[in-house]
Amino acid sequence: MEMRTFRKWCRTFHRELGFLAVGLTLVYAISGIAINHAHHWDANYERTVERFTIEAPGTGPTAEIEPVVLERLAIEVPIKSTWRAGETEFQVFLEGGGFDVNLATGEVVRHGFSKRPLLFDLNFMHLNSGKAPWTGIADVYGGMLIVMALTGIFLVRGRKGLSGRGGVLMALGFLLPIVFAVVSRGGG
Amino acid sequence: MRFVSVLLVSILVLLMAGAVLADEGQTVYGEGVSAPDTMLVSELLTNPDQYVGKTVRVKGTAVGVCAHRGCWISIASDTEGETVRVKVKDGVIVFPPEIMGDMVVAEGVWTANELTMEQTKEVCAAQAKEEGKEFDEKEVSTCMTMYQISGTGAVVASK
Repeated sequence: MEMRTFRKWCRTFHRELGFLAVGLTLVYAISGIAINHAHHWDANYERTVERFTIEAPGTGPTAEIEPVVLERLAIEVPIKSTWRAGETEFQVFLEGGGFDVNLATGEVVRHGFSKRPLLFDLNFMHLNSGKAPWTGIADVYGGMLIVMALTGIFLVRGRKGLSGRGGVLMALGFLLPIVFAVVSRGGG
Repeated sequence: MRFVSVLLVSILVLLMAGAVLADEGQTVYGEGVSAPDTMLVSELLTNPDQYVGKTVRVKGTAVGVCAHRGCWISIASDTEGETVRVKVKDGVIVFPPEIMGDMVVAEGVWTANELTMEQTKEVCAAQAKEEGKEFDEKEVSTCMTMYQISGTGAVVASK
């Protein structure tokens, strides 16, 4: 194949796949930044904590205490389950949260959580939490990125291409992960 | 070239349709469960050393989930107040907070981690803080062994 024809094919592949990859790239890029800082914030859920006090139910047998706690909490939504976590600790689980009740003091902590709009779904896809079906999509996307990266090398000729600035930038792109790998391995 | 684009878009659309139509019954995490018998959490905690290194399967209500990365869950025992922790590899399995209060069957290898005195004090201090109690590190005289299931999979039945 002639170089001119080869470049034409590269341009076509790069352009078509580039348009196709915009959405998926945004999914992985936005989610990547969010997940990268998982130790600073919860990228998937918004959480709320509310404290209040009820009349102390006492620390008697669970069978006697449970209806008292539920009555005093005046819960209006279906209850998933309850758990006596300790002598003075009682937990009530609901959809989207629950209550931690101190049976001795009547102090209650209400925990709530809700999925972050959009970001939860982006992270779900990025982390491949849904497994099988998304694995196929992610594999196709990975293949597309490889083709785009390789075809991108041959798009521009001359000073701005592989033999000039493009080549220097490409070398930098290789050097960064290599240096990081060497340094991080060296550091144990 | 249009044919290639149409083909790729079609593949993606089909795969997405598959994702949407995926089974929404019980949720399987990781490798799911395959061990033949489910054992009582209380039995596991009564004789913990007996099961170290063995694959165990337990069932109970999820009463705690790692808030940061979903990398562990606490499963309630059949004995009040007791729980067993199922730790999974970060990112391999992610337990969502929605499973709190749901019935979970989890499987993995029962492991024992001998803590140093310093680690034991840290764990005791954290527990005391969580329970709102005073902590005096002079009261800690022996090293603790932390038992947990190195989880490989779980099945959660939503209520």
